[in-house]
Amino acid sequence: MSNIVSPNKLRKAPIASACFMGLGQVLFLKQYVRGFILMAFETIMILSHSHIYKSLRGLITLGDPHPELPVKLRDHSIFMMVNGLIVIIILAIFFVVYAATIKSAKKDAEKIIKNRKFPTLKETRNDLSENSFAVAGITPAVIMVAFFTVIPLLFSAFVAFTNYSSPDHIPPNNLVDWVGLENFKTMFVRSYGGAWASSFVSVAIWTIVWAVFSTFSCFFAGFFFAVVLQDKRIVLPKLYRTIFILPYAIPQMLSLFVWANLLNGTFGPINRTLMYFSLITKGIPWLSDPVMAKVSLILVNIWIGFPYSMILITSSMTAISKSLYEASTIDGANKWQQFRSITFPLVMYQLKPLLIMQFAGNINNFGAVFFLTAGGPSLQDTISTQAGSTDILISWIYKLTMNTPNQYSLASVLSILVFLVLVPFALYNFIRTKSFKESEI
Amino acid sequence: MKTNRTGSNSPAVVILTIILVIQLLLVLYPIAFTIGASFTESNSLASTSIAPFPKHPSLYQYRRLLTSPDKMVKGTTDKHGTNYRVWYLNTLKVACMNTILTVILCSFAGYIFSRFKFPMRKTVMASMVILQMFPSFIGMIATYIILWKINGLNTLWGLVLVYSAGSIPFNSWLMKGYFDTLPKDLAEAAYIDGATPFTAFLRVVLPSAKPQIVFLTLTSFTGPWMDFIFPRLILRSDDKKTLAVGLYEMISGRANDNFTMFAAGALLVAVPFTILFVAGQKSLLQSLAGTGGKE
Repeated sequence: MSNIVSPNKLRKAPIASACFMGLGQVLFLKQYVRGFILMAFETIMILSHSHIYKSLRGLITLGDPHPELPVKLRDHSIFMMVNGLIVIIILAIFFVVYAATIKSAKKDAEKIIKNRKFPTLKETRNDLSENSFAVAGITPAVIMVAFFTVIPLLFSAFVAFTNYSSPDHIPPNNLVDWVGLENFKTMFVRSYGGAWASSFVSVAIWTIVWAVFSTFSCFFAGFFFAVVLQDKRIVLPKLYRTIFILPYAIPQMLSLFVWANLLNGTFGPINRTLMYFSLITKGIPWLSDPVMAKVSLILVNIWIGFPYSMILITSSMTAISKSLYEASTIDGANKWQQFRSITFPLVMYQLKPLLIMQFAGNINNFGAVFFLTAGGPSLQDTISTQAGSTDILISWIYKLTMNTPNQYSLASVLSILVFLVLVPFALYNFIRTKSFKESEI
Repeated sequence: MKTNRTGSNSPAVVILTIILVIQLLLVLYPIAFTIGASFTESNSLASTSIAPFPKHPSLYQYRRLLTSPDKMVKGTTDKHGTNYRVWYLNTLKVACMNTILTVILCSFAGYIFSRFKFPMRKTVMASMVILQMFPSFIGMIATYIILWKINGLNTLWGLVLVYSAGSIPFNSWLMKGYFDTLPKDLAEAAYIDGATPFTAFLRVVLPSAKPQIVFLTLTSFTGPWMDFIFPRLILRSDDKKTLAVGLYEMISGRANDNFTMFAAGALLVAVPFTILFVAGQKSLLQSLAGTGGKE
């Protein structure tokens, strides 16, 4: 091996790498370690071509019926689907690495030609340790996200186009088939889906109403107490503040369970107390009446959520310059005018992004609904669809997935919908962090 | 400036104070009731006294929780204990493993996103922002199958994998944001002294990101305590359950049988939790203000 640099030879490196991943690195660029690892990767991929083909074919056909075989040996559509997805992800990684290899072969060759010498051992080592640090550091995270986030999300998007549901299409006894837009029609077209479509409309409306009310009620309750506790005339503000933080500190699930029991119609201490003082003669159906349950849900959510807003608003209020208030006092403004023209707009300006993200969070607030009412009380005409009167989209998805009869395919239609609803919020969040970054530079 | 001082008994202040006191009682009532219920000997919700003090205080519910299921509760002949202690330990294990894994994965990933160039960097980062928006339980069937394939069902490490993988998009983005604000020459100075990127990261960069790592530790430690969906999906046998599932199954649909025991179990979690929260509150608030409040 000579150290003479021949540009013509080096220019072949990217071509060689295009023919076989890593070949250019080994033959021309003297990057033996990297080259051999890449070549091994491609070899493994080539050796497993029949497995790759089988998995991709399985993803398309979702299995062939074999009623003659014992259940254990029959095609399992869902496993085939997950396998197919895994193979697609691995292929995607393979092609990205392939493209990157060709690109880096070209870049390295040009660098060697320009410097008229191969990098010294020390340079190679530095380069290698820097590169391998970046690759080794990011790989576990990328693999875990690919397997536990990307594949599951893609899977549930795919299921929406199949008939995967109880009782007739549950593997391994039966196969699952692609059915196109069938499930979307069932969910969204009233004349086609019947009870499903009407359940969907009522759940969707309640999801929006819930998100609006729960976000703003907590925010303004928090705002109110933040402002009141800033008032110099109130005694012991610190005591109130400390105690008001408690609902935020206690695990939410536990508070919701306790509330569900406090509001229990027959045995709950709230009704028993009211009856004890003869304020009511019959128990109030806090959680068993469709309308009352919605009101209770929003009220309990205020109990849980107002401290968080209170804390944030308090800290954003302390950031407002005192001179603004002093100047306005000199101009003769009263407390209410100060609040309206200084405190409120400044706090809103600061916390608007947070409010928007809280709104998105409440659309997905599974815990509040599921632990307090479990979506109930159930309604007569939507019993077959499992949608209760306080169910929001996300808790309905959970019920359709976990309760029998499992309606995985319809749950996936709703998941796609939630996905679409959340995209604007995700984009908003992304643009915001990006602009935030740029303004700092 | 203090012209209002003289009016400290003005009607507005009286009304506001009344509202504050009412709110104080509303906040404290469920807590007081739960404490009272946990010291009630009888099991049912109906038997709790409406004033938040039990008529005959007793430690029976705590004894019942802390006795293991193969033994009889002290003082009774037919009442079995529960797996509560096992659940507590399981949850603690999951929380610790999750913290370690999350801190390692996300501080590496965040640092590399912030400082290194690699193929598809922009694409990976943009997809992280989008992915962190979605509740990971939307894909729970596929998660279940993948865990089944790697023998991770009904194991605590399977649950830990799901938790830490789910938190990577958000947390590595968070860490990246913090590393972006640190001066770049920090690691470069270490390189000149002969450090490799790895040792420079461990010795120089990581210590300077301590506040954010404290925040990450706190959130990834507290997260698993009350998560319910994934443990319910993944953990099947009673001795593998975490607290959230154990407590949920204790009470769901059978409130009238077990409410007082649930109250005792809830308090045994909530008290250390609240103390931890108050202790970590400062770091939590700083990070919240840094990530959410700034424009």
